Amino acid sequence: MSAFLQATIYGLLQGGLLALVAVGFSLVWGVMNVVNLAHGGFVILGAYVGWEMHQWFGLDPFLGMFVAAAVMFVVGYALQRLLINLVINGPIFITLLLTFGLDLMIVQGMNLVFSADYRSIRTSYASQSLALGSVRVPLGRLLAFSLAVGITLILVAVMNRTRTGMSILATGMDRGAARLMGIRARHVYALTFGIAAALAGMAGAMIGTVGTFNPSAAASFTLMSFVVAVLGGLGNMYGALVGGLVIGLVQAWGGQYLPGTWVNALAFLVLIVVLIFRPTGLVGRKYYAARLEV
Amino acid sequence: MRSRKLAVAVVITASSLVVAGCSSKGAATSTGAGASGTLTIGAAVSVTGKLAREGVLTKEGYQLCQEKVNTKGGVDIAGAKVKLDIQYQDDTSKPDVAAQLVDQFNDKGVKLILSSYGSANTEAQAAVIERNGQIMVDSAGADNKIFSKGYKNTFAVLSPATEYASSIVKAVAELATPKPKSVVFLSADDGFSKTVTEGGMKTATTLGLKVLDPQYFPNGTSDVSSALTKVKGEQPDVIIGSVHLVEGVAIIKQAKELGVTPAGFGESVAPPTPDFAKTLGGQAENVLGSSQWTDATKGTDKYFGSAKDYTKDIQAKFSHAPDYHNAEASAACLALVLAAEKAGSSKPDAVRAALSGLDTESFFGKIKFDATGQNTYKPMSVIQIQNGKAVTVWPTDSAEAKMIWPGTK
Amino acid sequence: MPTLTKVPQKRIFSTLQGDQARRLRPWALGLVVLLAALGLQGQLYSGQERTVATIFMFVALAQAWNLIGGFAGYASFGQVVFFGVGGYFTAVAMSHWHFNFWTSLLLSGFVSALFAVIIGIPLLRLKGHYFAIATLGVAEGMREVVTNLTDLTGGGAGITVPTVGSNATTAYLGNDGFYQLFLGLAVLSVIISGLVARNKFGYALRAINQDEDAAAALGINTNRMKVLTFALSGFITGLVGASYAFQQVTIFPERLFDVDITVLMIIMVIIGGSGTVLGPLLGAVALQFLSEFLRQNFTNLHTFILGAIIIVAVVLLPQGAVNYVNEARRTKEFSLLANVRKYRL
Repeated sequence: MSAFLQATIYGLLQGGLLALVAVGFSLVWGVMNVVNLAHGGFVILGAYVGWEMHQWFGLDPFLGMFVAAAVMFVVGYALQRLLINLVINGPIFITLLLTFGLDLMIVQGMNLVFSADYRSIRTSYASQSLALGSVRVPLGRLLAFSLAVGITLILVAVMNRTRTGMSILATGMDRGAARLMGIRARHVYALTFGIAAALAGMAGAMIGTVGTFNPSAAASFTLMSFVVAVLGGLGNMYGALVGGLVIGLVQAWGGQYLPGTWVNALAFLVLIVVLIFRPTGLVGRKYYAARLEV
Repeated sequence: MRSRKLAVAVVITASSLVVAGCSSKGAATSTGAGASGTLTIGAAVSVTGKLAREGVLTKEGYQLCQEKVNTKGGVDIAGAKVKLDIQYQDDTSKPDVAAQLVDQFNDKGVKLILSSYGSANTEAQAAVIERNGQIMVDSAGADNKIFSKGYKNTFAVLSPATEYASSIVKAVAELATPKPKSVVFLSADDGFSKTVTEGGMKTATTLGLKVLDPQYFPNGTSDVSSALTKVKGEQPDVIIGSVHLVEGVAIIKQAKELGVTPAGFGESVAPPTPDFAKTLGGQAENVLGSSQWTDATKGTDKYFGSAKDYTKDIQAKFSHAPDYHNAEASAACLALVLAAEKAGSSKPDAVRAALSGLDTESFFGKIKFDATGQNTYKPMSVIQIQNGKAVTVWPTDSAEAKMIWPGTK
Repeated sequence: MPTLTKVPQKRIFSTLQGDQARRLRPWALGLVVLLAALGLQGQLYSGQERTVATIFMFVALAQAWNLIGGFAGYASFGQVVFFGVGGYFTAVAMSHWHFNFWTSLLLSGFVSALFAVIIGIPLLRLKGHYFAIATLGVAEGMREVVTNLTDLTGGGAGITVPTVGSNATTAYLGNDGFYQLFLGLAVLSVIISGLVARNKFGYALRAINQDEDAAAALGINTNRMKVLTFALSGFITGLVGASYAFQQVTIFPERLFDVDITVLMIIMVIIGGSGTVLGPLLGAVALQFLSEFLRQNFTNLHTFILGAIIIVAVVLLPQGAVNYVNEARRTKEFSLLANVRKYRL
């Protein structure tokens, strides 16, 4: 029983972190129809920013992540405004192609600047655990999980209650109509991408604390974001959170009751089964499904 | 109109290609020694991709070797000194590209090859080497499987995979007091790690330890919590990880998070690397690891001197302490150079014969190949992280410090 | 007299002009290119043949993806699963069941096609993003399954096709043989693509791409068309995977089910121009050649430079090269900057 509880707690915590990694990806795909293959690169870039802050200023990574968010916001805004906006009207996979090229440059750039050495941001408290009976709750992961949930809730509130958020959603639904209403689409798109990059950067700083990273880890985060975003469903801000938690739990339970090497297969199986029975993902909105043209 | 002209143009270009193709191409240029006073060796290394870190360390090892040999005047082939020139290509960490690069080197007449990093890449390269009649010295592909196929042209300077965990088991059985009773292996599921586990389990059984069921997890994962949770209840005395760096760090970190406390941890590959102690800090204390080489290894040779000399050279040239990946790469290059000198030629057949008969000491330890091409004559060292540094604790004749046991408090 | 000698000449040129001739011309040009490729083989060294064979391999893969992703508009992000299934089927058949390569090759194609039908029936009901990710999930899931079926497939340690000794059922083809094999597969894929594009099947697919409900209203059995296309695409990809497995001798799941291969396929099709016959061909040749050239000459910076070139190419030609050329010839507007203005926000 305690093994089950331990697995559940661990899976939820892991899932929360995955959700934070994926939420920016889901936002950008759902609202702007942009498939950002460089998303994992943004995550790792955030991790490096967090690491540098810790290295040079001794800044605790849970504070350093705000710096990472700010830096990545600027990067994301600039990229969208100056580069991605140039092809937004093209066939949808063009953005995929553009972000693929961007990802190549970002990952290799990090390789050249930071070298391929593995790093981790060390804190004195992250590996401590709270003990609840025979179950251990690691502190670092608990903090990351709480932040992930908190940030998702803040994002939902911003999207639904502020003018900026609503202009983002509006532009996502119908760009032409939004522009007719006086919304500056170029700026709004750039804002969205910037927010997504900032979220990715924050997640990266946290990943850097609870695990190890190097430039080649970017690809697996992009893949994970795909799965989590679509499993949860696009068009709904809670989608990434739901998707992340489900994947985290499935992998933790799977690891516990099946031979350890089946965990990934199980995660993908769940994804496929959910998509077959709920084609728009667990909590996704139907409208967003139809907007794919090659 | 335009399209007719285009069609005619295409026909003419294509016909000329066909006609040209019917004539034979020139013979591949051969660049053996004596052609221009250079001994050319080809090396496909992983400069980009997921093996980039180890690939760069391998390249550094080759580069130091080239520098050391050329400072002494070059390779002494049949009385004349020729410069050593190693040509590098990036295999992007993919086995098929590594194999393709061997073919491309062959086209240019480069018959002597230094391997890429890792068992998968080396295995792919070995197949092509055998077909083309080239010679390869393997610096980083330890999996015994590579040498069970009857290949005659590949020689490995490093100890085989089965030794990685076995040496830790032997060290623990010999030096740990109180002697541990049970051991469990947590292993990644790639070929190399599985061979390491098999070797370790066999040794543990022979030495009278109780071997619990091994737990496997996907290669490259940073979450081994399920495996740790599963073994927590069985309370093993020793946990040995057949892993690479990412899983290795994860085991130690998550074991602390989950409250899994055996008497000691041992891991393959990860602990001797500087990244391990750096990323784990205090948690890395007293973790055991096996290494192909440490700076306490005994032996000297004419190009590198001793292990301590090697450490100084790497520090001076690359501003970091040497990793055993550096050393095994330099040793592979050294073996090839010594073989060419012994054979008095750079022709593949002569070099192969020289390699088969090579039996020499070096900064890396003993270099001698058995009938399958593996270096079964060099033992691996077991290190322990003490005060943030990896110190050799086994074999006892080259030990720098006593093994601290139990490793966890 | 003068007119008599002129007539035969006129007739030769007129045979290249007529309506029937216009339909034959692509085939004639294709034949010429094929002969050129065969001639090229004589000029290349063995290692270069291997490199060019990889280019042919990607041509075939890109053409196969274009069938389902370009013509039908169902972007499959998991296309590599057919590559892997075909490759592993051949490897297992040759090493465990001692089939010879050619039998395994054909069977691999059919097994991949069958697999496409099995996953196509439930998944082709999904649209857009969800179909893409569902197929990605299948590909990744199959990789994990193959990694776990250790007894059959060797798992993470890989599986080796026997090429030496008594177990070898077919002599290793060598770089020469594989050059011709992959060339053949590339030609096959272009022919199939050309046939599909120019007959009712292709028109049905394009109709489905543009407006599936309207196509159904016109009486096209959209489900059957989609599954058939998926199966055809899977068949070709499976053949390529099987050939690759034999060429590599030892294969690993993480390479044979690598999502990078799918991404490369998609990029080649899009850069060349999706939904056309020449597009994937040009895209594959250009991209593979470029990446090979950069890697050989810029050992440390090649991915960085490739990324930059892709970005520039995408910004200047968002609709793909072939589509751009077609549009430009039609509207007589060749300015690239004007092209950028058309597609930017």
